[in-house]
Amino acid sequence: MYATPINRRTLLRGAGVLGAAALVPSLPGCDDDDRALSFFFAANPEEADARRRIIAEFSRRHPDIPVRIVLSGPDPVQQMSTFCAGGKCPDVLMAWELTYAALADRGVLLDLNTLARGDPAFSTDLHRDSIAALYDTFAFNGGQYALPEQWSGNFLYYNTALFAEAGVPTPPAHWEQPWTFAEFLAAAQALTKRSAAGTVSQWGFVDTWVPTYSAGLFAMNNGAPWCEPRTNPTHLNLDDDAFLHGVQFYADLAASHHVSPTTIDAQSMSTMDLFAAGKAAMALAGHWRYQSFARAPGLAFDVTTLPLGPHGTRPCSNIGTTGLAIAADSPRREQAWEFVKFAAGPVGQALIADSGLFVPVLRSALRSAGFAAAHRRITQLSVLTEGPAHSGYLPVTPAWPKIDALLDRSFGPVLRGKRTAMSLKATLPQAIDRILEAA
Amino acid sequence: MSARGSALQRRRARAGRLFVLPNLAALLVFMAFPLGYSLYLSFTRSDLFRPATFVGITNYRQLFADPLFGIALRNTVVFTVGSVLPTVLISLGIAALLNRKLKGIAIFRTIIFVPLAVSAVVMAVVWQFVFNTDNGLLNIMLGWLHLGPVPWLVDPHWAMVSLCLVSVWKGVPFATVVLLAAMGGIDENLYEAARIDGAGELRRFFAITVPLIRAALSFVVIISTINAFQAFDQVYVLTGGNGGPESATYVLGIMLFQHAFGFGEFGYACALAWVMFAILLVLTGLQLRRGRQEDT
Repeated sequence: MYATPINRRTLLRGAGVLGAAALVPSLPGCDDDDRALSFFFAANPEEADARRRIIAEFSRRHPDIPVRIVLSGPDPVQQMSTFCAGGKCPDVLMAWELTYAALADRGVLLDLNTLARGDPAFSTDLHRDSIAALYDTFAFNGGQYALPEQWSGNFLYYNTALFAEAGVPTPPAHWEQPWTFAEFLAAAQALTKRSAAGTVSQWGFVDTWVPTYSAGLFAMNNGAPWCEPRTNPTHLNLDDDAFLHGVQFYADLAASHHVSPTTIDAQSMSTMDLFAAGKAAMALAGHWRYQSFARAPGLAFDVTTLPLGPHGTRPCSNIGTTGLAIAADSPRREQAWEFVKFAAGPVGQALIADSGLFVPVLRSALRSAGFAAAHRRITQLSVLTEGPAHSGYLPVTPAWPKIDALLDRSFGPVLRGKRTAMSLKATLPQAIDRILEAA
Repeated sequence: MSARGSALQRRRARAGRLFVLPNLAALLVFMAFPLGYSLYLSFTRSDLFRPATFVGITNYRQLFADPLFGIALRNTVVFTVGSVLPTVLISLGIAALLNRKLKGIAIFRTIIFVPLAVSAVVMAVVWQFVFNTDNGLLNIMLGWLHLGPVPWLVDPHWAMVSLCLVSVWKGVPFATVVLLAAMGGIDENLYEAARIDGAGELRRFFAITVPLIRAALSFVVIISTINAFQAFDQVYVLTGGNGGPESATYVLGIMLFQHAFGFGEFGYACALAWVMFAILLVLTGLQLRRGRQEDT
């Protein structure tokens, strides 16, 4: 006797029922996700932990506002744009000083003044405790599109053991006590070690940031800002001799003085690893490298200011800052505002200070015992606490991605030592002006 | 009987249409609609956030006046020629070698096809290590020959050579599969007759094999050209999203990506995509026409 065979129709029906059944358990999950406040940010694993701590504390105080994390991939701005263009913009978004303007210009971000007006007490306290230059970074076309939450400007890390071993004087502990380009170069030269064959075993200086921006930072320290005004400029100072001399000084460190690795030298070992392994005496970086260096076995380091060029009057870092923004089409604006207030306000900032993973942006948090306790490894703490107030700005314009691509192409030959920085004067400023004009 | 037969035929035709319907729907939704929409976008100023504004042929006019379009087009042509020509020649040689009845030939065939299975991004990451100036495999091997280290990906002059090398490595397996299949279809009697007439191996290859696999060769050239013209992923991973160093590897695929996703100029990027399509259409048409003329 044969069993009744399953016919095609029965099989298809069965598959349909099974498929529908498989979907049912996920429906309540979708519902939870829809209700939760989504928070998009980019972070390495340690930074993500610090943010989870802030979210946990927020959830403890606001149990009625569940928060869902949306962790970014390698290109956060592109990912954010894709989400928002597809109509799935997270409620709270991390904003970067150089790229937020393009999103604000397209109406993706909410003007936070619309919410702050209803919260005058918070706004007054925040203004009193804020560092104006950082707060104003997110002011664009009459609106406030994010509240700053961390300072990520650059400064110099230095290997205290290598300095002592070479008998090089300790570099400055305060932004008000500058050292000069010449003193910096002399230190880098004294700390660069070469074999008889010319192979470098220890570099005087390494750059762990973006070479184009680092060149601009040296230019800023030579007394020339990127532009004037900061927001929606119509011209960048790439035709200013002081700016170009600063760029040239930076380029010469690798191309002429050979105290810093070229792109080729840094191919086999990253500049960050060179400093962490004790194979570089100074490193240009922001606070985001602090934990990596702190974890490097046997590395004794401290922090110092950037050197001042012959045309400069005041040494500075750069306004690298990230902020928290709210999507303009967020259906949970009020909840998002509560979260932004919490993370960028005194409580969240104190948690950031205690974590030691970021430099907070409120004066109260910068001066807190928690921040000092989290940085016991270093003695020159004022480089960090005074850094935000000693930061120069980069241009805030929706056209920045285009300018960035153009700078990358144009600075290449200068940084490789094939052309001088002065040669940029011929065509680059005009090309940038055209981009700014069209923006 | 005939009435029952026609009823059956109608039922079968209906079932056939129903079976085709999901695929047809997918084709319309995922191919026809995006194509049509991108053509529409190419006549607009659009960043996908604000409503698109109709600008006529402005995007196309700006594109042809853009000095970077000229650079990207030149780089793309260099890359296409530098990768398609060696790919076809090498794969032709390999296919001829693999088209033999030797013991263990299956192992060699398998090995040669391995790159076909590797993701372009993974492959590009591996090649980054190979191209490392100080410790890369390629420069170590050049060192054995007492040749100085080459700054493969760092120097603007060598960066394009590096890209072509990777493209050839990636393209050869596919081309070999197609050419090997075509060679397998050639009648053995032709070779036998040529051998009896005293033709050597090279003569048999150029007088019998190459003319008889011309259709497959033409197919390989067209597909490789299309792939090279649309190159993006390996360039992005190997030399970055700006097509550096400087503009040495700034190809059309990178330009398109940069304008769409970096600058948010989707209208402009769509115009570029349709210009690329037009160029490829003309090239393919010319190649097919040439093939037909040779056949007649």
